[in-house]
Amino acid sequence: MISLTGLNLILPQLIIALAAIIVMLSIAVKRCHRFTNLFTLLSFAAAAISVLYIPRGSFGVSSLFVVDGFGKFFTVLIACAGFVITLMSYHYLNAREKRNEEYYILLLLSSLGALTMVISNHFVSFFLSLEVLSVSLYALIGYLKEEPAGIESGIKYLVLAAVSSSFLLFGIALIYMQTGHLDLSGIAAGLSSSGEFSGVFIAGLAMVIVGIGFKMALVPFHLWTPDIYAGASAPVSAFVATVSKGAVFAFLLRLFYSTGGLENKNVWTVFTIIAVASMLFGNWLALRQQNIKRLLAYSSIGHLGYLMVAFLAITDRGMQAATFYLVVYFTGMLAAFGTVIYMSNKKGEALYIDDYRGLFWKKPWLAAIFTTVMLSLAGIPLTAGFLGKLYLLTAGTEVGIWLLVIVLVVSSGIGLFYYLRVVAVMFAGKNENEASSEPVIGKIFPHGLVLTLLFLLLLWFGVYPSSLLEIIQQIASVIR
Amino acid sequence: MSITLILFWFLSVLALFSAAMVVASKNPVYSVLWLILVFFAISGHYLLLNAQFLAIVNIIVYAGAIMVLFLFVIMLMNLNKSNEPKRNKWLNLAGVLAGGCLLLVLVAALKNAETKATLAETGTGNIGLIENLGKALFTDYVVPFEISSVLFLSAMVGAVVLGKKESSPDTAGQSGKSSEK
Repeated sequence: MISLTGLNLILPQLIIALAAIIVMLSIAVKRCHRFTNLFTLLSFAAAAISVLYIPRGSFGVSSLFVVDGFGKFFTVLIACAGFVITLMSYHYLNAREKRNEEYYILLLLSSLGALTMVISNHFVSFFLSLEVLSVSLYALIGYLKEEPAGIESGIKYLVLAAVSSSFLLFGIALIYMQTGHLDLSGIAAGLSSSGEFSGVFIAGLAMVIVGIGFKMALVPFHLWTPDIYAGASAPVSAFVATVSKGAVFAFLLRLFYSTGGLENKNVWTVFTIIAVASMLFGNWLALRQQNIKRLLAYSSIGHLGYLMVAFLAITDRGMQAATFYLVVYFTGMLAAFGTVIYMSNKKGEALYIDDYRGLFWKKPWLAAIFTTVMLSLAGIPLTAGFLGKLYLLTAGTEVGIWLLVIVLVVSSGIGLFYYLRVVAVMFAGKNENEASSEPVIGKIFPHGLVLTLLFLLLLWFGVYPSSLLEIIQQIASVIR
Repeated sequence: MSITLILFWFLSVLALFSAAMVVASKNPVYSVLWLILVFFAISGHYLLLNAQFLAIVNIIVYAGAIMVLFLFVIMLMNLNKSNEPKRNKWLNLAGVLAGGCLLLVLVAALKNAETKATLAETGTGNIGLIENLGKALFTDYVVPFEISSVLFLSAMVGAVVLGKKESSPDTAGQSGKSSEK
């Protein structure tokens, strides 16, 4: 029976679930976009703060969830990302859609899916969280009804995600058949008693990798990413790029580190191929993109590939590097999509790189922020992206996975080109055809403020990372 | 050969054959009808495992409610062979190849599987009885149970958001005003 202490442990999740229901009921009473937005912001903030009230240590909640430092760290990360996305959505939705309030229910619910996923310790809870996350995302992606591209990408995501979920379920069933357990510790125990991996287990694991790889958009399963990023509204794309991928990555770490699935040579090789392919193809395909959202989509594929390098190191250092890089990636992606939202107008989003031509001469501060974001994503020194990549490299070289390390360096080199292209366009001469007479959506408050904050964070982590690293070092050893 | 074993083989063959027919049928309505047969066969398996509650729920919810809905949707959509888009021959070939590879891997994996650990407790297990199921759902699995209710909530909200008609101009004006306040 779940006791009150158990409820205390899942406080952030409870807050978000309750907030979603309150928002829904408040819409029934009276529609007010400002109130809904503020309330969503407050609940995300409360969820992040409530983590402080969870006692230290590792606790199991009814054998399906485990609340430990790692889970708490990701809970805070996801709640903060949700907070930022809510802030950015306000003016965007005001300008582009009449009926905005339901958006926040869906946003809260899919964040809830992510929040329960990062503390999942069991395939049942993982699958349920994944479905909560994706089902709300289907509707979020197709939310803007006047955009045919949005509906199209919503349906694409629905079909593809359903197929990947069925793969995942079949894989889980095969693993259950072999080990007789669905909880990760039980699977680990079942594996260590049988000694060698059987064919059924590897087949099951492979199908789970298909499901997880789809959600993280790793290379053989990445085809949906650019279309969905380009079709969905920019705040939702930001959500897909950060929260959805980050939560699945957190579960991936938990799954493979606590069951020891990576100790099998075949599984390790499969992941190596996936990582190499993601790094190379992600950066390669981004080179020719003119659409900034597609460019960010391919870049995010590359970034997830970088993360896999640290994941494959299977050390504490690797885990810390991955966690640090994920935080940097969250900050960078949120700021990048934030800039896209800022530059959008009532008619549409600032999708093409040419829309940013000469931005520096019109809005120098925004151009400075966007430049820093691009440099951080590319991994230039003095930004957080550089240090993140440095940690990934040291994690890789420590255990001598040279192939991955070399590919990481090479693909970062390729990546530099398209990030700098965007920067160069911003500093180029003024835009001759001032076609976009519509004013941009972005306002100084709250939009400019939150972008500035993310910009400062990128610099702060880049110059003085030890503040973040100390926290990460405390949590990273807990997961084993 | 005991009666349970005979029933098991009968139901298994029925389930597999109907499942194959779901895919093979050209007419979508036939596919749905075969799918109903699959659900009945699986419910029979549940009964063999002494899980009466699951069997009944499976028939009521899946074979009854959901499949009727399915049937209605398919009939309303009026899918004919004529308006089916032409498929690329190479795409078909690629699909067959990919699916065949998956089948090969699974068959190879399952051929060597140990069967001693996977014997089903026919007629003796009592996991699927309503009392035990309820106990498990509301003690150990209470949090996931609640999460699944959240899942339905999100599906419902999503369906309403996507399915709602565009509001007429005067109501749109009202909602616009209320958001300005």
